[in-house]
Amino acid sequence: MASTSPPLPNARPSPRDLLREQLATVLPHALVTLPDDLPDLIRTADVVVHADALPEVVQFVIDHLGYGLLSDLAAVDYVEHGLFELVYRFYSIGGGGDLVIKVRVPRDQPDVPSLMAILPAAMLHEREAYDLFGIRFIGHPNLRRIYMWDEFEGFPMRKDFPKQGDNYIGEGA
Amino acid sequence: MSNDTLTHSLTFTEAPAALTVVVDPTPQIARGSAVVVERRRPKAAGWSLLQGLGVVVDHWRKSFRKLDDTTQIAGTFTTEYPEERLPLPEAYRNMPILLFDDATGHELCTSCFQCQRICPPQVIHMTQAKDPDTGKPVPAVSEFIIEYDACMSCGFCAEVCPFDAIKMDHNFELSTADHSSLTVHKTDLLRPISYYQSIAPTFWAEAEASAYKKLETNKKRRPATIGIAPQMLAQLKAAHELRDDQQEATMPTTAVASAPAPATSSAAPPARSAALAASASDLPTDKAARLAAIRARNEAKAAVQAAPATASAAPAASDGGDLPTDKAARLAAIRARNEAKKAAEQAAAAEAAPTLATPDMPPTDVQPAASEQAAPPAPTVPDASLDEKAARLAAIRARNEAKKADEQTAAAGAAPTLATPDVPPTDVPPATSEQAAPPAPAVPDAPLDEKAARLAAIRARNAAKKAAQAEGE
Amino acid sequence: MITTDELQINIGPQHPSTHGVFRMLITVDGETVVNLEPVFGYLHRNHEQLAEVNTYLQNMPYTDRLDYFNSMANNHAYALAVEKLAGIEVPERAEYIRVLMVELTRILNHAGAVGFMINDMGAWQTPLAFGIREREKILDLFELVSGARMMCNYFRFGGVVRDLPDDFIPRLKKLMVAMPAYIDELERLLRENEILLARSEGIGILPREVAVSYGVTGPVLRGSGIAYDIRKAEPYSIYDRFDFDVPVGSVGDVYDRFLVRIEEMRQSRRILEQIIEQLPDASGGHINPKARQNVRPPVGDAYARIESPKGELGFYLVSDGSTKPYRYKVRAPSFINLTPLGDMCRGYKVADIVVILGSIDIVMGEVDR
Repeated sequence: MASTSPPLPNARPSPRDLLREQLATVLPHALVTLPDDLPDLIRTADVVVHADALPEVVQFVIDHLGYGLLSDLAAVDYVEHGLFELVYRFYSIGGGGDLVIKVRVPRDQPDVPSLMAILPAAMLHEREAYDLFGIRFIGHPNLRRIYMWDEFEGFPMRKDFPKQGDNYIGEGA
Repeated sequence: MSNDTLTHSLTFTEAPAALTVVVDPTPQIARGSAVVVERRRPKAAGWSLLQGLGVVVDHWRKSFRKLDDTTQIAGTFTTEYPEERLPLPEAYRNMPILLFDDATGHELCTSCFQCQRICPPQVIHMTQAKDPDTGKPVPAVSEFIIEYDACMSCGFCAEVCPFDAIKMDHNFELSTADHSSLTVHKTDLLRPISYYQSIAPTFWAEAEASAYKKLETNKKRRPATIGIAPQMLAQLKAAHELRDDQQEATMPTTAVASAPAPATSSAAPPARSAALAASASDLPTDKAARLAAIRARNEAKAAVQAAPATASAAPAASDGGDLPTDKAARLAAIRARNEAKKAAEQAAAAEAAPTLATPDMPPTDVQPAASEQAAPPAPTVPDASLDEKAARLAAIRARNEAKKADEQTAAAGAAPTLATPDVPPTDVPPATSEQAAPPAPAVPDAPLDEKAARLAAIRARNAAKKAAQAEGE
Repeated sequence: MITTDELQINIGPQHPSTHGVFRMLITVDGETVVNLEPVFGYLHRNHEQLAEVNTYLQNMPYTDRLDYFNSMANNHAYALAVEKLAGIEVPERAEYIRVLMVELTRILNHAGAVGFMINDMGAWQTPLAFGIREREKILDLFELVSGARMMCNYFRFGGVVRDLPDDFIPRLKKLMVAMPAYIDELERLLRENEILLARSEGIGILPREVAVSYGVTGPVLRGSGIAYDIRKAEPYSIYDRFDFDVPVGSVGDVYDRFLVRIEEMRQSRRILEQIIEQLPDASGGHINPKARQNVRPPVGDAYARIESPKGELGFYLVSDGSTKPYRYKVRAPSFINLTPLGDMCRGYKVADIVVILGSIDIVMGEVDR
């Protein structure tokens, strides 16, 4: 691991700006520039990166910024905008606020590289996102359903999943 | 554990490329420090077992002592349920119940649907009551169902209820072999206010004033028996009958005193008021409610007596220096005066009774003995403590009574008879008031403010008193 | 030459040691665990989707049911998230009451966690009874303020539902008197117990770097020697006003986690003492009178986390400007702390699995959601 003494995140004004600044110099291809005219719901101030570049960015964040604790991975289904958003939330063991990395993938092809090779903490997070949203994490060694049973069809947390009816007890909607 | 096993235990199936992440050796800790816990070893083999056994034996020794002191950790705290029960805190919440007023039997619920809307598991269902004549919704609930089996006892329904109609019960012994009985209907949900007061006195004390105030408003908009708890209907009916009997017995007495009325048997006037009080206290009433009821009744009676001779009293009342500045109040005053005047004219035309203008007397001076018609004593008419709602109600009732009395006076060509002194205002058939010129039904809808209403009530009472005195002379 | 075959067996889902309906599919070679795969979902009720059809306030009692041991802590995290999203201020007194409740929760959770872990070791019931005896007194206090012992539903946006009753603080003070004796007694009973040491020392070791890379939090992470406590690392509410230490382990085994929990109970007691001292001077009421309960937060997202007794409990909320959350995500500590379970158990005996699981301290209501 490269860094000697990681910078204290709470000593800096904003980890988010720091990340954006550094990514622009180190991994410029990773950053996604969002258009200004996005609808309110999917407008974000957080760093959005390309799905392909996610492992590189995460490795960078761990090694050079000291954010080694993957705290949360939340998938959000913006069905009207045709995209899934993955919110990766990192913390530093040294304390301080969070560092958010967002990845946006099209709803019809929700493929994201798995973080398992870098951070095994992603194991259950990714399985959960796969089970409930159907996001495929490429490279996950054990990407199976976690809450629903294996034969279950569909992804229940997607916004277009039928809210009523049950295909499994003969009351299909 | 040897190092070999340790490494073995850390061989990962899908060995991640980078297992170690940067770990700041000293995370920042303000106001405290990181303390490494001390891993102790027993001093000698078996020592710690003896030590642990000592704790157990110590507790066994102390277990023969009954302890109520929670600063102690040893001793018997056992409660022999169900013979013994720990007191439940007031905040304790189990299942929701509905409340009704002990005195009148009126349910506090007005079917505003707040609880149904907030209920997280959606187990509250209700239908609003409708006036059978007009079909319009009434602020009362006709059916109320709570599925106790799916209720999560969160207490939101009780929290949001603006009428304090739904509260959380303390009864937790709900187990049953009959699942369907856990879908509870309104009759089984209803509890008297006195019950809730007994389980949560301070909570009810906080809610009491506003709950009754709101109930009074809603009662006016409930025709007939709508909104009365079913289990109270029979009881109330019995109480009503008792009261009616007493009225029949006392009414002729009052009629004797008034000049041309057909005199029949006579009973001692005080008997009635005593009976009234008794019948009122039969019901497990709340004091405030009882007071309000008595006041309203007194007002009504006073107004009836006012009917023959308010001609002079009414102007006096309206000219009484402090003209109400508020528009609504003025309106109410004018209406009251008109009514009184009209009544007086009718009475005068019918029997040409001499009306004498007597000086205004404060309402508290009403003496039942002085005015022979005022059978019930009115010791509870302190206008200062009148609450606004009750006052308004009383004013409206007084006017209604006055109207009724007029008609009777006109029809009989005789002095007013106390035919219907206790009829609730909603029972007044609008058709009988053809002689009452002022638009009485409009009054309740008018934006009466409390002050104006109180004023109107006081004036009506004064007028009545005057009339009574005039009559006596 | 003797050859052995690997054998696959199930522990759970209906098994007293799995703390609920949790299944572990284990491959054993004799008594030694070769592989372990946790199987989840037996208590899954799609809590997160349920939350999307409820209003923000209606979700509050559902958070009680996540980690039903610590309903107050769940309430706190959720209330913080909504307050962050909707920009609701919390009066000082309400903050004190909140922290008071959450620290009481921590004591009762650790008392239970220690007791149940010892139970898993085979010390049937007696240590558990010692552990949860004081828990009952704390539950009595919860009942006093909230009306329920476990499903408290006590927090509201901008404060708590009602102020402390008059007899709360006197009763709490009595409990504070009993607490040191109680913790000392628990230690005397267990800390140096040879059987406990034999069953917990060197078992389920989770080295510090591995613990971080697995994202575990709470006493499990601290047991591995990392002084990461959200109350210190990113103080929320009013935790920056209290003096307390962060206990950490040195080896990262089951015994360290046990010791860390015992010590955390002491530290929570320290916080409670400071609260009792400072509470009378706190300004404001028990709830922000301007706070509306049927919130309609502006469009945006918010994540709030607390140091729940089991670890980092976070709520991620996305609002689309309506009265219902567009997305509601629970970052459940019990669930994430199970990530390294397979690797923690590998190489140990079957009997150690239940102890390791007990030392992680899971509640299935939170794991499966």
